[in-house]
Amino acid sequence: MALKYAFYTGCSAKGVAPELYDSTKLVAEKLGMELIELEAATCCGAGAVQEKDEFLSLTINARNLALAEELGLDMLTICNTCTLMLREAKFKLDNDPELKAAVNEVLKEAGLEYKGTIEVTHFLWEVIDAVGLDKIKSMVVRPLREFNIAPFYGCHIIRPPYLTGYEDPDNPSSIERLIEAIGGNPVDHDARLACCGFHSFWSAEDKVTLKLTAMDTQAAKKQQADFMVTPCPLCHTQLDAMQPEAEEKIGVNIGMPVLHLPQMIGLAIGLKPKELGLHKHVISTKAIIEKVA
Amino acid sequence: MEKFKLKVFRYDPTKDDKPYYQTYELPVEKGMTVLAALFKAKEEQDSSISFRYNCRAAICGSCAVRINGHATLACKVQVKHMLEKYNTDTLVIEPTGNIKPLKDLVYDMDWVIDKLKKIQPWFIPKEEPPADGKEYRQDPYDHHKIDFASDCILCNSCMSDCNALKANKDFLGPMVISKAYRFIADSRDGAKRERLETVLKDFNLEWCVRCMECTTRCPKEVQPYENIIRTRIIAAEEGFKSPGEIHAEIFEQDIYNRGLLNEMLLPMRQEGLLGAAKRAPFGIRMFFKGKVNIADFFGGHKVKRHDEVKKIMDKAKEVKKNIKIKLISDVHTPYEDKRKSKQGG
Ligand code: SF4
Ligand code: SF4
Ligand code: FES
Repeated sequence: MALKYAFYTGCSAKGVAPELYDSTKLVAEKLGMELIELEAATCCGAGAVQEKDEFLSLTINARNLALAEELGLDMLTICNTCTLMLREAKFKLDNDPELKAAVNEVLKEAGLEYKGTIEVTHFLWEVIDAVGLDKIKSMVVRPLREFNIAPFYGCHIIRPPYLTGYEDPDNPSSIERLIEAIGGNPVDHDARLACCGFHSFWSAEDKVTLKLTAMDTQAAKKQQADFMVTPCPLCHTQLDAMQPEAEEKIGVNIGMPVLHLPQMIGLAIGLKPKELGLHKHVISTKAIIEKVA
Repeated sequence: MEKFKLKVFRYDPTKDDKPYYQTYELPVEKGMTVLAALFKAKEEQDSSISFRYNCRAAICGSCAVRINGHATLACKVQVKHMLEKYNTDTLVIEPTGNIKPLKDLVYDMDWVIDKLKKIQPWFIPKEEPPADGKEYRQDPYDHHKIDFASDCILCNSCMSDCNALKANKDFLGPMVISKAYRFIADSRDGAKRERLETVLKDFNLEWCVRCMECTTRCPKEVQPYENIIRTRIIAAEEGFKSPGEIHAEIFEQDIYNRGLLNEMLLPMRQEGLLGAAKRAPFGIRMFFKGKVNIADFFGGHKVKRHDEVKKIMDKAKEVKKNIKIKLISDVHTPYEDKRKSKQGG
């Protein structure tokens, strides 16, 4: 079965996390996943539009979903928040015929229609369910044996279960299983299922956000992780690019590298750190690059 | 009969320097709840364990504890199911989080009560009672808006696992804001603006990091997270200005003008020139790491078929006026997985 997806990049992979975009494309190709990029898709609203104008956010995402429906393919995302926002829109539209009709009245203006015929999925889930861990295992050329890897799920891929539903939000295991498949050592730590703080940055940077960022990265450090890995670019921006601010806030040097999920897979299946954009991180990934060399 | 270990958090500040755990071995009885297991341990093995309970039927909200790290009502969940859920032979029972333990599983409720008092969790009528002597009335849609929020039993499960509260105990918390929403959204209540001012003090309402723990934890499907968002929407409609409101505005403009968010120009638009100056080290760092596209500083590119987006957004504002969006009614059933990769096709 050919694995083919409507690829929804989201803003981050096209903005501050180009290394996620690049590594996803490279790894997907190697794993036999064909990604048809939705170049006409817009931002999902990221929860911001949703908390000002619910109907507007629903119409925007109905359009995004309709673009994937045009291709007849499930929509593959690479961001937890995109996944959740698109699934939330789909959930609301599919469960409320009146709302769906109102949204379609709007979409008609641009000659579009939302039908509800495709699903929204995340790269992590497809790597496990569609590619399969056995296939990944068979492709590993550089097992990450000597690495202690701290999974950081990020909230919006596990909670709330009525919108995510892939695995138990209290006891997920997908990232750990993936780490084991590529020969790495998953480490348990206090912040495994915690929040990076991203979404209250502009309202509570000092009061909440940076404190969480510091707690999370320190939790991984406490368990002697070599790096953290996350399926979400927003978590990545927060934990990696904002880690210096978090360090400054608590007056402690943390220095915990954070990899995007496809970067980690890429290293194990023989892609080069440079192609995967490991040099584009704020917290140095030098120690990792040297070890895999 | 199969056995399991009940590992209980123990702490008596009058005797103990620090908390410790005590383990009791018990049989896995059919239908046994975690609360029943605590009773069994107390009655048969150690009468000194302290915990709160009352109804034993998920109504009173007294028995919330953390089971293997996650808050829930001890009387609502079965031992067998919890052992299966965590794939273990041990249930670790701790007091709810973000709170001062008083003795064993009993925690100090005063801080929650103090927070609740701030939002005046009682009805403040907008008008005199109806002249016909009947109760204050409400149309069904208006009632629907506060229906789920009214079901809160103040059990503290959501407060326990809230990430914003973990970082800052001054956050009002999901239970409290959700309770405020119950009155803010009540068409008969007369203190809407005053209540909004209270929850927006220091933008407290926006400290929530949208971690979704509260809705995931809530045993009564109160939808505390969704109620927080609904409160924010009402605040925006009422014309309150806040960082969150400005943020939403920027997203809306970017989608309207180009489709994707321009992350590099965001700080300046969010916080003005001063803000941009404060963020300069971050921007420079991102630039030198090759993370940003220089074109973004000059507005960046548009998504394809962007003309559709403008048409849709303009039309949405118009259609919106005539529709009453219903609240989500089921936040209990996990999302049904219909992905093609699961269907084999
Ligand atoms: S969604 Fe907000 S209020 Fe709810 S638990 Fe998370 S931070 Fe707390
Ligand atoms: S909102 Fe739900 S979890 Fe929170 S106190 Fe009320 S009933 Fe308990
Ligand atoms: S004892 Fe009343 S809710 Fe559990």
